[in-house]
Amino acid sequence: MSDRLTPILDCRVVVERGAFKLDVEVRVEQAEIVALVGPNGAGKTTLLEAILGWLPLTEGQILLDGRTLEAPRGNTSVQTHEREIGMVFQDGLLFPHLNVMRNIEFGTGKSLEKINGLLAALEISDLVDRYPKELSTGQRQRVALARTLATAPKMVLLDEPLGALDVTGRAVARKLIGNVLRTTGAGALLVTHDPADAFALADRILVLENGRVTQYGSPDQIRTRPATKWVAELVGWNFFEANGTGSLARLSNGTEIATAHSGLDGPVVVTINPTAVALYREQPAGSPRNSWHCRVESIEFVADVARVSLVGPFDLSADVTRAAVAELGIDTGSAVWASLKATEVGIQTLDG
Amino acid sequence: MTPQLPRLLRLAAFVAVAVVAAPLLSLLWRIPWSKLPRLLSTEVVADALFLSLWTSLAAALVALLIGIPIAFQLSRMSGLPASTLRAVATLPMVLPPVVGGAALLFAFGRKGLIGETLDNAAGLVLPYTPAGVVIANAFVATPFVVLTIESGLRALDPRYELAAAALGASPLKTTLRVVLPMIRSSLVAGAFLAWARALGEFGATITFAGNIPGRTQTLPLAVFAAMEADRDAALAMSLVLVFVSLVVLVSLRDKWWPAR
Repeated sequence: MSDRLTPILDCRVVVERGAFKLDVEVRVEQAEIVALVGPNGAGKTTLLEAILGWLPLTEGQILLDGRTLEAPRGNTSVQTHEREIGMVFQDGLLFPHLNVMRNIEFGTGKSLEKINGLLAALEISDLVDRYPKELSTGQRQRVALARTLATAPKMVLLDEPLGALDVTGRAVARKLIGNVLRTTGAGALLVTHDPADAFALADRILVLENGRVTQYGSPDQIRTRPATKWVAELVGWNFFEANGTGSLARLSNGTEIATAHSGLDGPVVVTINPTAVALYREQPAGSPRNSWHCRVESIEFVADVARVSLVGPFDLSADVTRAAVAELGIDTGSAVWASLKATEVGIQTLDG
Repeated sequence: MTPQLPRLLRLAAFVAVAVVAAPLLSLLWRIPWSKLPRLLSTEVVADALFLSLWTSLAAALVALLIGIPIAFQLSRMSGLPASTLRAVATLPMVLPPVVGGAALLFAFGRKGLIGETLDNAAGLVLPYTPAGVVIANAFVATPFVVLTIESGLRALDPRYELAAAALGASPLKTTLRVVLPMIRSSLVAGAFLAWARALGEFGATITFAGNIPGRTQTLPLAVFAAMEADRDAALAMSLVLVFVSLVVLVSLRDKWWPAR
């Protein structure tokens, strides 16, 4: 991910709609998948529609592979159909009056033989004679992706392409889509509400909240250093508002959390990675300052990880291994000790 | 399961249907069935029938050509401009057809605003000609095309057009290959309604094109003329009109009003 490369998409999008203002800078490199996440109403779809030329920019510019698509000040505005940007919609939006073959041929001059590889990769070769209403949701999504990729766009926008699928379908489709997108070399901007999509597919994740980018980084950066409450909740982190004094953060109920920071003064936000929370049956020896007596509220298993929800002086989630749960012999209602190193406590000062 | 209607409402519906059907049944009652083949094969009737058929079809075509662009334009407008344009475009639907015919005379008549130019430039005279019948019919039939197609366009998810554009399709290609095929049931409904309206046209036709047997006398005009002279012939021709109209309306079924 060198900065010397020309990004495929390089844009600043400012769109004003009544009281809502979207102001976002996005750069997508060649063959890079950027996931766009954020709460409802953050402006994700608006951003895609603006990049596509369906909504005029109030300000900013859109460059695709060095070509200016839109610059309101310079009065440049390339029409949507001449932008070389493809879009895959949540419900696929296949043309209902055309069969799969004609849908895929619609945007491309190429005959189907030329894109056989694409059809095979998306496992839709056998569906070409069917009509959209005869396809399952997952098949429709894959046809929609094939239809877009067949036009060889430089940039692909995907608006919740997996949103309509069930959990199993999602996992399969996610893998297929990821593989196919990477082989095309196009840049991709993928809107999703499912963190699993973002973390599994994306090279970078862009977090959009209330029209602004609140975090932009690799999945690891997002996972390990969530910048806002929404991101913290997205990645399953514990998140508390507190009042800082020196190295201590005091929650509103009086519980004190020791941190490795110093000189705290005033309102702060405490973030605790659930994987950093250790659980013990007995009070830990040497009694680290951050240890609390809690009750297990629930245990949820995701693959090998157990998400343990605790009720104690404050509500806390801990991620431990499945084996650890068995070893500790804990179950709903069990009493445990949760402990946390001061160095594992994240502190952010509140801004906005 | 569909919930049952109140008994009173069902009774009212029954009475209403009887009231609507009574005139039609009376018409059928009076038809001289045995003389029907002879009555329908006279020259006046045959001429009127043939004229009615081709002028109404031509008028439906003209109505589509005029109505489709208006409907597209309307579907992209909102507020007062849309209401105003829609009112103008659908005015012939509520206007007394005689007034429409008179307006056409002022426009396309020999001394009319456009008619004089047409006459001078191309020697084209429309009033009191079969072409005039087509114009008069198209004038009253166009609103049906405008309304059905506009409602079809408004019901179409605009994101289909976005999807087509994102696939590199120009606005023209999108219109021809995505929008028009997707609203085809509205197109069919609009065409049929326009045709049925043109077939039954009376007031505008007689005002603008006259009532010349064998030239501008359509079936409805012939029925009117025959009511005085030959009531049996009038009945026979009425039967044809009732039959054709019923066939059109029944075959449209859910295309005009949504199916359950």
